[in-house]
Amino acid sequence: MKRILKFFTSIKLAIVLLIILAAASILGTLIPQDRSLEEYAARYGTLSTLFVRLQLTGLYHSIWYLTLLGLVALNIIVCTLERLSPKWRRATKPHITADAKSLSALKTNVRIKRSAPLADVQSEVTKLLAGAHYKVRTETQGPRIAVLARKRIGGIFGSDAVHLGLLIILAGGILSGVTSVRENIPLYEGDIKPVLKADFKVRLDKFTTEYYPDGSVKAWKSDLTVLEKKTPVLSKTIAVNHPLTYKGYSFYQTSYGWNWDSPAVEIWAKSKSDPAYLKKMTLKVGDRALLEDKGQTTIAVQRFLPDFVLGESNQPENRSDQPNNPAALIEGFRGAEKVFSGWIFANYPDFAQMHAANDKDKGAETDLAFELKKFEAGQFSVLEAAKDPGANLIWIGCALLMLGLGLAFYWPTWEIKAVLEESQGKTDLVAGGVAAKSREAFGAEFENIAAALRRSK
Amino acid sequence: MTESTIFLLTFILYIISAFFYLAFLFSKKPGRAKIGSVMAVIGLVLHTAALIVRTVESGHAPFTNMYESLSFLAWASVLAFIIIDKKFGIPRIGPYLMLIAIGLVALASSPLMPKDVTPLVPALQSYWLWLHVSVTLLGEAFFAVAFITSLMYLTAKEPEKKERMDSVSYRCVAVGFPLFTLGGLVFGMVWAYKAWGTYWSWDPKEVWSLITWIVFALYLHTRIVMGWKGKRSAIIAIIGFLAALFTYFGVNYLLAGLHSYA
Ligand code: HEM
Repeated sequence: MKRILKFFTSIKLAIVLLIILAAASILGTLIPQDRSLEEYAARYGTLSTLFVRLQLTGLYHSIWYLTLLGLVALNIIVCTLERLSPKWRRATKPHITADAKSLSALKTNVRIKRSAPLADVQSEVTKLLAGAHYKVRTETQGPRIAVLARKRIGGIFGSDAVHLGLLIILAGGILSGVTSVRENIPLYEGDIKPVLKADFKVRLDKFTTEYYPDGSVKAWKSDLTVLEKKTPVLSKTIAVNHPLTYKGYSFYQTSYGWNWDSPAVEIWAKSKSDPAYLKKMTLKVGDRALLEDKGQTTIAVQRFLPDFVLGESNQPENRSDQPNNPAALIEGFRGAEKVFSGWIFANYPDFAQMHAANDKDKGAETDLAFELKKFEAGQFSVLEAAKDPGANLIWIGCALLMLGLGLAFYWPTWEIKAVLEESQGKTDLVAGGVAAKSREAFGAEFENIAAALRRSK
Repeated sequence: MTESTIFLLTFILYIISAFFYLAFLFSKKPGRAKIGSVMAVIGLVLHTAALIVRTVESGHAPFTNMYESLSFLAWASVLAFIIIDKKFGIPRIGPYLMLIAIGLVALASSPLMPKDVTPLVPALQSYWLWLHVSVTLLGEAFFAVAFITSLMYLTAKEPEKKERMDSVSYRCVAVGFPLFTLGGLVFGMVWAYKAWGTYWSWDPKEVWSLITWIVFALYLHTRIVMGWKGKRSAIIAIIGFLAALFTYFGVNYLLAGLHSYA
């Protein structure tokens, strides 16, 4: 046990662990993460099974990566704790020594002989140091007086705050991984849906998409109401970057979509032989409408595809839910008999062709032409509901981390020690200074204080 | 004046500044470095004006596409250099830094980078965009200065010059590391949480920021705890900056992920 602890006090171990962590993390950016087995097989061939077995395809939540993070945490804990109690003692119960020899061995040191009594020099030194914002402690040790002056002692705990912050962030990550709940909720306007593991429901009152003049999306906005037992308690318009928070749950605008099952389709019918003829109508899929043309044709929209493509066997298929190539299948009837059918395209009005429905009319086209002018489908909003108790720990950890960095780099602890000794009415002063950070500024300050001591008679 | 005119003037001033710094490098006449630094400051003021004009015209932060963020990185690098030079008086790094700034501005101006003002997609409409990107790039600008001083450490011969470059590198990391931590990691997590509901999603850009951060953590630990200085420190700082550079460019072009905007 002791040996293990000893092993984890090593800062060399920290260096090795951090290098391994960095290397492993790089590996995870080279291999795409969390894809399907087929994709890995296509990409890496026979290597793919090895990658999956070594958990390289879900590297950041693999056992070995988490173990690595655990070892880093253990290393930080042991290393920090080992140093903490001596540091704490140094801060609260400093050891005041009067060893002139070791002081004059310091890089920053001074030796001054003054023709004044000890008590005078002591009060002068104390005053000078206090004036430079040092906290001064003195101790009489036999014939000598030892002085210890320090400022910004908090700085020595900077690295501890950083490490504690890191540990809290890691703990937050674990808490998130274990306890966070997350689900996507698709909602049409008016829908009321329960929220996973929560005792309240949400209702979508309105969903709007705002566009820039160039047609790109400016904002998705969902007017959301929280219902407690059917009673509305809170309403807010949420958008990307503006979630709603209620009882530890946050609701994010993540996505949206259309209901393509029964869009309203606006169709214009024209006659090739009669340029004056134009009939506009709006139909839903499955609806029929009578054209007041010569033949008294009825037409129906049989199918609607937002993103029409021809599939492998030349069958119409839908490629996506985005309206990239909206198309409607039109059928024409005389009485009960189907006489023609054909696809019309919103983006390609000239592409439409109506085919005769039965063999005996084959080749004969109808006199009618159709255009798909507009289509309107109900839109739904997709919200993400998330509850992540770990997040609060993350923010606490981040605050500590930043506080620690501030202390470690910009709150340098400076320490001046001095020994005063009287002999034959004169006082001998030896002083030395230690600064782990900002040595140049410290050297200048030390020099100033020494110069002031030399000047006074 | 339009943004592109001011941007062009900035470019010219940076070139003049680099020219005088180079002249200083060869002649060792301090007056030339002085002119170089004045030109860099005027260039920076104009560059700031160009960024402001862009912000006013587009109505959003000036770092939402590659052109804008390259320009901003050049701005931040010149700013970091001027601050470090003011504090430590190291005009010798002037020519190299100004050459980097010129390179970034030239890359931004190249026809490869679309310059149109495009409206912001919903995910980017947040004041966290300002905080996250500007603080991160400012941190990276200090890493860029550390990169140059580390290179100069490796190439310098006189021990006293080496010593100086080593200490300036450390000071740059001491500024860059907290800024990068705050902007890149902390603000990044806060924003991701606000926009997507997860503070960390192991997206390649996030992972590469983490890697960059670990490299500089290694720099600090080897230095503070193991007493590494000089050559080994310089090499780690160089690797760290290259990792930052990869986070910034490489991830966009070579790896796919969430951060595909800029
Ligand atoms: C892998 C485990 C780690 C161990 C064992 C470790 C250990 C240490 C030790 C012993 C110190 C010196 C403390 C002192 O004397 O004041 C230190 C300083 C520090 N550590 Fe770590 N550390 C680890 C990971 C990290 C990580 C991942 C970071 C991330 C940024 C970090 C940030 C710092 C900082 C900022 C300092 C202060 C440096 C300075 O004062 O210039 N540490 N660490």
